[in-house]
Amino acid sequence: MSLGRFARQTFVFLLLIFLHYSLRPLLGWRAPIDFLMIAVLLTSVRVRPGAAALLGFVVGMAADSLTPSALGASAVAMTLVAAAASWLKAVFFADNIVLHGFFFFLGKWAFDAVYLLVERRLGGVELATQLLLWSPLASAVTALAGVLLLLVLRPVLEPQNA
Amino acid sequence: MARAVRSATRVDTMLLVACGALALLVSVLPLEVRGAIAGALRRSVMTPLVALQQQSERARGALLSRDETMHRIDSLALRTVQLERLDQENAQLRRLLGLGREVGWGFVMADAIHGRVVGETETTLTLTAGAGAGVQRYAPVVTPDGLVGQVRTVDPTTSVAITWTHPDFGVSAMSADGGVVGIVKAHLRDWPERFLLEMQGVAFRSQLPAGTVIVSAGLGGVYPRGITIGTVLSELATQEGWARTYLLRPAVRPSDASNVMILLPPRVAQPLDGVWTTLPAADSAARAVAAAGDSIRRDSLALVARRVAADSARRAVADSIRRAAAADTIASDSTRRPAAGDATTSDSTPRLAAGNATTSDSTPRLAAGRNPS
Repeated sequence: MSLGRFARQTFVFLLLIFLHYSLRPLLGWRAPIDFLMIAVLLTSVRVRPGAAALLGFVVGMAADSLTPSALGASAVAMTLVAAAASWLKAVFFADNIVLHGFFFFLGKWAFDAVYLLVERRLGGVELATQLLLWSPLASAVTALAGVLLLLVLRPVLEPQNA
Repeated sequence: MARAVRSATRVDTMLLVACGALALLVSVLPLEVRGAIAGALRRSVMTPLVALQQQSERARGALLSRDETMHRIDSLALRTVQLERLDQENAQLRRLLGLGREVGWGFVMADAIHGRVVGETETTLTLTAGAGAGVQRYAPVVTPDGLVGQVRTVDPTTSVAITWTHPDFGVSAMSADGGVVGIVKAHLRDWPERFLLEMQGVAFRSQLPAGTVIVSAGLGGVYPRGITIGTVLSELATQEGWARTYLLRPAVRPSDASNVMILLPPRVAQPLDGVWTTLPAADSAARAVAAAGDSIRRDSLALVARRVAADSARRAVADSIRRAAAADTIASDSTRRPAAGDATTSDSTPRLAAGNATTSDSTPRLAAGRNPS
């Protein structure tokens, strides 16, 4: 990876982190956009699975620091999702915007599922509601936002050809 | 090449397993340890992001509360306007009570209901007192400022009065000193002069300077003598050469009258001389009495506050003296006890220690109960 490309990807990554901690709380939606997930997924598909796992772990730990009772849950979920994204991207996907949307949707939903299982806070109907209603909604919103951001940031990212 | 790929894959797998295991390990750590780790992260790398999120949440809170704040401000503004109206109404009612005291008897209080008048002068008022309250046709309607009009229609519970702006209105009038007599009617001209009165039929030899107060003369038995009608503004030029006509500024604006007094027939027969001239003085006196009452209350409160402060200071001084005396006692006990032969105690709390002591103590009441001897 060239230095310029690395700088551009770092810029996009930091921009998404910024949006996660500024725009997301400002919107305050019940099914929020997960900019962290978009950032991790966009970066993961451009690095090796090991690096993606490490990135997911670091970002997850940072995100968990605001909820000490669930510390580690995001880290586990992000590690798995980031590594899986890196592997799956290498194996399956071409650089297609619709597939990216689906990719964001699945990534976010998988993240929520792993997070809720590791966190062990919800159970029964609450867990089912969260997993089958709110998580898909949040995943859809995240996927939509991810696709829009990808369209806007494509010239900056210069996505690699499959 | 294949070897390198295998090696890279192995490294990836190892990293994934290591990160996953570490994350799982963190998630099962005791809550205190997790809290400490999270706190360390928040205080270091997450500090700017936490601050950013805090700012965003504040901004969202501000946005959400903006509408509510605007609604509150509107409500407060509306209440302020209503309070001003209430103040005015209170003042009017207070003055009406003063008028009631001056008139004494033979009257009925009523609210004046104004009809919707668009583009023309209001000439009638609906009053909330009727025949059931003793109101009769032609009864004078007055306020603390003066004459408003005359009742024309009476129902059991309400009545309708014409105001001085009505073309049929007329009252025999005189100057306050009784020297000049005439008939006061509405000044039927175009706006804005429509809101004035004119005093007709004043003898040509009589002249009224501007500012002269005109009151009802009591002739004809409809209006009692002494009700303020208005003040002379100027003389009007007329065709008649045998009488003068004066323009008057009315004492009452019918649109401002919300509470009125209806004089009953027995009271109409009696003059009301001086009632309207003494009313302002009575009102001032009432305000002065109220102000004096407030002043006395403030003085009393200040006096009570001073007494409380003085008592507190006295108690504080007494307490400090008592504490100083107690300290002296303790000091003397501490110094006396070893001399009395008990070498085991050198405590500075003699009341508790004295129970074990066998020597003399300056607090014998407590010591006596616990002393084994």
